[in-house]
Amino acid sequence: MTDGRSWQGNWKTRIYERVRERGYDSLTAFAEARPTASLVELAEELGRDDIAGVQVFSGLVAEAERNHQVTRLVRAQCVRELHAYLPAGWPSEMGDENRFKVARALAGWYSFTPETHKERVDRAGDALLANPPLAGWHPLGPDDELLRTLLPDDQA
Amino acid sequence: MLESSRDGLADDASARQSGTPERRQRHRENDAEAIAAGQQRAAETRQAVTEATDDVKDSIAGLASDIPKLASHTRAIHAHGDVFSRYFDFGVNQVRWLGGALRGTTTLVEVADSVDDPDMAVGLLRMTGPRLQAAMAGAMLLDSWFDFLQLADALLQQCPYYNVEQLLVDMERVQKRLEPAMTALSSLEPGRVEATAAAMPELMGQLTQEFHTIREGARMATERAGQVIAVAQFVEMVALVSTLRVSLPRLPPSGPVLVGARLSVGPGGVMAGSHLVVSAEWVEMMRRLVQAGVISLPVASAAVRIHAGQVLMAQSHRDLPKGVREALGDSPEVRGMHETGKAGAGMSEAPKHHVLPREHREWFEQRGFTGAMDIDQFCVRMEKSHHEAIHGGGNWQLGRTWPGEWNRMIMDELRRAEARSGRMLTRNQVLDIVATRMKTYDIPLRFSRGRSR
Repeated sequence: MTDGRSWQGNWKTRIYERVRERGYDSLTAFAEARPTASLVELAEELGRDDIAGVQVFSGLVAEAERNHQVTRLVRAQCVRELHAYLPAGWPSEMGDENRFKVARALAGWYSFTPETHKERVDRAGDALLANPPLAGWHPLGPDDELLRTLLPDDQA
Repeated sequence: MLESSRDGLADDASARQSGTPERRQRHRENDAEAIAAGQQRAAETRQAVTEATDDVKDSIAGLASDIPKLASHTRAIHAHGDVFSRYFDFGVNQVRWLGGALRGTTTLVEVADSVDDPDMAVGLLRMTGPRLQAAMAGAMLLDSWFDFLQLADALLQQCPYYNVEQLLVDMERVQKRLEPAMTALSSLEPGRVEATAAAMPELMGQLTQEFHTIREGARMATERAGQVIAVAQFVEMVALVSTLRVSLPRLPPSGPVLVGARLSVGPGGVMAGSHLVVSAEWVEMMRRLVQAGVISLPVASAAVRIHAGQVLMAQSHRDLPKGVREALGDSPEVRGMHETGKAGAGMSEAPKHHVLPREHREWFEQRGFTGAMDIDQFCVRMEKSHHEAIHGGGNWQLGRTWPGEWNRMIMDELRRAEARSGRMLTRNQVLDIVATRMKTYDIPLRFSRGRSR
């Protein structure tokens, strides 16, 4: 990792070969089986030295676009970002340190959100800060109830 | 037989079904090990950088007080003492930039200490490289220059027969030899520092010869005059000039000496025959610096050659014996890591890019990215395909609606993190966010200084 090897050769083929080797027929299925793993962890599991987190995310976006499941992917990404910075769940008190962790998770979520959903993610972040969830809230996947309230699947 | 093979199958099947959590568990343990190893490496590198910095700091502190003291001594003992003040000033000016380089190193070590991410910490420590190499080589040169100042002072006091005009010509010549190297080192520009530090043995050899030439000239002048002065006084004079404490390396015995041929690694350090050249602790410090990519193998080897007095032959570090090179951390990985120009690996030719976007220089300055930490220090070398990919160019994307362009992504994330936390981000918080994203983009945490334009 982080030596730039992930950009050599045909990495698109490489990702899908590894996904199939691990018994999944899509990158989404592989990722959903690891709902709290970060993008870097997903990439490392597919290839410690030759696959990058952004490549995984870009692939996930492509699949979600095709299957009209972008909102679900956005929720799934929220779970990953929250888990990375708040592994013990939503903090019970917002001191400077916790506030920064929450801010980092929400900012990371926004970064890894397709253009079409960025505004909704911003609003969802506002809502989470305005009406904080119960302390310890720790969504374990895109089907989390609170997340689905904040970001319901498109009606279409 | 049948049973065992069925067992095998059953194991396989269960591994496939319930294997995911187990595998993840194992994965996490590997991660924990990797993090611990990373932290260990960061701590070792930090210690080596601190040791090397302290060494140089001590020697510079000594010179900073000795040079002015000697200057006033020279002024006091000789009617023409003032004429030499510019040579003392030259020394004082070097102390200044050396101090600056060391302060930059100390800042980087402190920041490295306070970031959470061990890879970022090593990345920051590696950034001390040009400063540390410049300071190590510069301090060595300044030490030699002090030898010449002492020699001049002694000659003015003890050798009335050595012409003052001649001594001025000598000092001027030596300064001219030293100056280009000092200028290159003080630029702190990685390429120039590296080339100068690696070429130090030859320069030290020339300086050693100069020193002997001047001392010999003084001896001969005194000998000629010796016919008219008391023998005892004459002997004393010659003795004093030849016992000056000198930092310059001893000249090797005359006649061809094969560089490195007699150097070997023993339990106590690097030996030349039965004579200890550098201690095992010093070698260990250098090995860590070389392996972390803080200083280059050619520069470490140059230092060994100077200590061994093998300064006259224009030889490259490849001529050091394999055992010594390995003790200094030589490995294929290390050889590929450094920007040693054409000799280096392919990556050394790849163009440099700013990790912290230049268009937002001011934003970073406001959050403490100035001086040794300014955004030009945070450049990485990247191949074209990789660079295009992270800037969303080329045909890299799989999805359409997430461009993932680095500059926009990182600024969006930093600004949002700041807005959401309700206060200005600290430098370390910025670095932690950047480190995480560099890993996500598989950008090497190996910084070098780029152009500011």
